[in-house]
Amino acid sequence: MGSCSERSSLVSTIQIIRKRQFLIRLLIRQQLVLRYRRTFLGYLWTLMNPLLTMGASTIIFGTLFKADIKTYAVYLFAGFIPWNCFNNILIQASNSLLVNEGLMRKIAFPKIIFPVAISISVLIDSFLSFVALFILMLLIQPLFSWALVFIPVAFLMIYFFSLGIALILSVMTVYFRDLQYVITILLQVFFFFTPVLYKSDSLGNGLVAKIMSLNPLSIFIELMRLPIVDQVFPPLSIIALALSLSILSLIFGLFVFKKYEKNLIYRL
Amino acid sequence: MSSSIKIQNASVRFKVYENKNLSLKDFFSKHSSRPESGKDPYFDALNDVDLEIGAGERVGIIGRNGAGKSTLLKLVCGIYPPSCGHVSVSGSVASLLELGAGFHHEFTGRENLYLNGAILGMSEKQVRMIEDEVIQFSELEPFIDTPVKYYSSGMYMRLAFSLATAMHPDILVLDELFAAGDIGFVEKARARMYGMVNNANILLMASHDLTLMEELSSRVIWIEGGKILEDGNPNKVINSFKTFIKSN
Repeated sequence: MGSCSERSSLVSTIQIIRKRQFLIRLLIRQQLVLRYRRTFLGYLWTLMNPLLTMGASTIIFGTLFKADIKTYAVYLFAGFIPWNCFNNILIQASNSLLVNEGLMRKIAFPKIIFPVAISISVLIDSFLSFVALFILMLLIQPLFSWALVFIPVAFLMIYFFSLGIALILSVMTVYFRDLQYVITILLQVFFFFTPVLYKSDSLGNGLVAKIMSLNPLSIFIELMRLPIVDQVFPPLSIIALALSLSILSLIFGLFVFKKYEKNLIYRL
Repeated sequence: MSSSIKIQNASVRFKVYENKNLSLKDFFSKHSSRPESGKDPYFDALNDVDLEIGAGERVGIIGRNGAGKSTLLKLVCGIYPPSCGHVSVSGSVASLLELGAGFHHEFTGRENLYLNGAILGMSEKQVRMIEDEVIQFSELEPFIDTPVKYYSSGMYMRLAFSLATAMHPDILVLDELFAAGDIGFVEKARARMYGMVNNANILLMASHDLTLMEELSSRVIWIEGGKILEDGNPNKVINSFKTFIKSN
């Protein structure tokens, strides 16, 4: 009976999201459009951050690692995109319940809408900046291949993986406000343990490399890097691993969220 | 259509935190050396409330500040799950607990109409259907595409009210609604509310305006300290409430 009711609660969550898709769409629009209303550069501001970070990192680390700047630029690009997507979903969605506290006190509606809406808007942001930066990358190197077809799939897997974690963090942040800061700091540390700036095999076989190999995010980064940098489809083993990680994360996230959702209002 | 609200032995219990948020520090220290300092103190905003409201009733809730009026409304809306007891509500609920809750200041009136409609549970089709009527009723045609941060509080309230009352909910929950708006609009709003009630729906409202309560309600509930003190004929309940206030 227990597993049955758990399954039905997961299904009901998905139904809620489908039923409230109009609201989710409006909230996403609010995120994407409102931010830059009445600014001169508008949406281009979203591209500035990744562009500048990537540009600066390319120059500095490319020189440091004595890499070919063009190749390294593409390599960084393919690593930064999934990292930023993961990072931004975690940071923004984990705060989403606190930010909307006022609304939740006045109107009853399924709270999962907040982390879902904000994470989808981050996903759209990431995808658009991928497209824009990809066009820029074409000026440096021809990157076209059939393997690019896989990129949207990779995005979806990263999205569900991140969403699952973000759902848990959003609930925990309500209970433990310190987490808002802890998450930001941990992500900064975690960035260096993720092979964005460097190749994981360049770490050798020592302890650091062993710890690093446990990092699930490196799998998702591979998922993007193979089609972009190596212009091949990721092998099935990596796809299967990534897929199971994202499904696992999503189910666990939904489960935890569902469990604590009801009493959140007493903790806000 | 028969909407109903059934509340059985429901309590809404808040823990009283010195600092409401458990910090990581507290969490760890609680689980380590420090001995348990007894149960957290709590506060029952609603205490063992039994209440049944049937179709067509216009129920007014009165009581002093902090008596639990708003909490009762929030319990009915589903914002607070009952800490114990049961609440069952059949019929769609629209709540106007605060004017313009969920309005976004940077959004225009029309954008807010859509956003708020969606927050209140409407589909895109439903919002489209009521859009013109809401704009017309709220008398905001010339300003509907202006960001609401430039609205006066009266305009704000007119939009919120027109929207919430445009969706023909089975159950309408109102909390101190008539705070703003010019005389003409209040008249219109009152007529509209009577209209809704006449459609055999439930009206549940809390207010300090006793004259208004007497006028709109068919039943009045007096709450004190999270408990129902008196329930019944508006005139009678309001009079004993008035006597109580004077004697205090």
